[in-house]
Amino acid sequence: MRPCVVPATLAANNKEMDLFQLSLTTSLLLLLCFYGLTFLVSLRIGRKQENVDSYMVSNNSVGFGMSAASMTATWIWAASFYAAASSGYKYGLSGALHYGFWGALMILFIYPFGRRFRQLAPKAHTLGEIMHARHGKASQMILAGSNIVGSGISLTVNFTAAGALVEVLTPLSFVHGVLIAGLGVLSYTLWSGFRSSVLTDFGQLVAMILAAVIIIPLIFFQLGGPELFTTGMPRLTPEQASFYSPTAILEQGAPFFVAVLAYAIGNQTIAQRLFAVREDLIKPTFVTATLGYGAIVIGLGMLGLLALLAGVQPVGGDLNNLIPQMASTYLPPFVIGLFFIMVIGSLSSTADSDLSALSAIVMTDIYGKNLACGKPNPSTMLWVGRLTMVVATATGVIFASLKLDILSMLIFVGALWGAIVFPVISSLFWDRVTNKAFTSAVLAAFGMFVISRFELLPLQGVIGVLFELCAAVGGGVVIGLMTFGFFGRNAGIVMGALTALILAPFAVGFLRDYPVLLSSLTAYGVSTLVCVTVSLRSQERFDFDHIGERVVAFQGSQSKSKKEEESPLCPVSL
Amino acid sequence: MSSLALTAYVLVWPAMASIVLAVLCVGVAHDMRAAKRNGTDLV
Repeated sequence: MRPCVVPATLAANNKEMDLFQLSLTTSLLLLLCFYGLTFLVSLRIGRKQENVDSYMVSNNSVGFGMSAASMTATWIWAASFYAAASSGYKYGLSGALHYGFWGALMILFIYPFGRRFRQLAPKAHTLGEIMHARHGKASQMILAGSNIVGSGISLTVNFTAAGALVEVLTPLSFVHGVLIAGLGVLSYTLWSGFRSSVLTDFGQLVAMILAAVIIIPLIFFQLGGPELFTTGMPRLTPEQASFYSPTAILEQGAPFFVAVLAYAIGNQTIAQRLFAVREDLIKPTFVTATLGYGAIVIGLGMLGLLALLAGVQPVGGDLNNLIPQMASTYLPPFVIGLFFIMVIGSLSSTADSDLSALSAIVMTDIYGKNLACGKPNPSTMLWVGRLTMVVATATGVIFASLKLDILSMLIFVGALWGAIVFPVISSLFWDRVTNKAFTSAVLAAFGMFVISRFELLPLQGVIGVLFELCAAVGGGVVIGLMTFGFFGRNAGIVMGALTALILAPFAVGFLRDYPVLLSSLTAYGVSTLVCVTVSLRSQERFDFDHIGERVVAFQGSQSKSKKEEESPLCPVSL
Repeated sequence: MSSLALTAYVLVWPAMASIVLAVLCVGVAHDMRAAKRNGTDLV
């Protein structure tokens, strides 16, 4: 799952940590082999003349194995390991579950909605493109803008993680790590775009899984195996020793649970794979990716629990140091090299997906639908995508080199995505939702989110109760949408209403102490209330068949577009 | 919980990851065969 802790401060502690370091030759060889092999693999699918649609979503019929592997690899990034282990160390038995389980569910809960997206727009490239066909430019740009910010930050976080890892485990510097990762990822993604990303994801995932499968049992038995529980359990507090720790649920599990749908809807990397996989394989792909993500991330999170049981103290008191510290202390040099490749593989697979996502958004939502007014030149479009990748990589490398605290921005954007979930989903199921309803709902939710997140108004008295009631509605919306995805409209409405009613008395006077959870739920609640209210005031009805007619393949539709010179340049406008 | 149950709790995840890896490898092999049979690209 994306929201997590990046090892930004890890590098600062590397000297005092006295960790094992790979030699310069070994480090360079490992990096060269990894990126060199990945580049050679990508050459196998390179074409002199790439197709713009394939560059963004492949052929819309990628098979189960490649899709599931790509989905899993993309959703796991370097920081997932660190954050899962931190959660295991902090919250004990249930900690890793409260990170990895909800992250895995993000993938699972999107597929019922994903099938609807594919049914409405089989040739779509981005979710923003579908919103353009449904509502017009304002809604499209809200979605595209939030996706660009999210993917841009994610890219930077991955480069930062590469710099930190290289600085800790090799004699190279932080900037060396950032530059090598940036150039390495760009080299194999630039020419064939999304197709390269999917193809290389499989190899990167195999490396990741093999490393996890070896490292977890190895460290467990190095620490004493089952005997560790006998000696270590007394070190745990009662809450850490319980699977039902309220602190773990409220501080870790609940905010992640709320973010389940937001991250899935707000992330173009998921949408892209959704549009790429063969339509009848969406369900098995997403179920397998859910299991794969859960197994790997929860498994590596167990290293945090093992560290807690063994009484390991994170160097410098920084939980981000736990995994490298465990690897360095308990693993032989060969396996540390494997660990190094595992982390580089995880961050590269996510970074190449971010590059592909950014290029698809700029190609489709900015150039294709706006600058070219729906009649793009495929050749120009392709170069727009490649230029986007170069600019995004350069920007990501620069920001990563500055070592800014960008993770808090990503968490902020992730929580903010709660504002768009209901408007997006309802727009594709309910024919009464209008552009005005969509944009006003998102803007109102954004405003209320910012107020509650940064406590711009004192969350006390009537104001506090108002936000808590909105958050209770938000809780109902989350449960309602999840139920709706799997069991239909009536079940969704009943479950949502029941949840909101049950939550309301508990939320009042309580949620104000948890601003992260309160603000995320408020975004869901307010966006839903405004969207429903404004939509009910409208008498318009939308014909969903129009979406499929308006969202077409760019390259395939080119000849048709030339024949239809007299048709409106921009069929959908504000 | 017994040490045995907790050991299973820790080791079940790499075991599950191994199964997923096997499923994915079979899936990709199937995709490659299908692409070769149909004369299409894998991705």
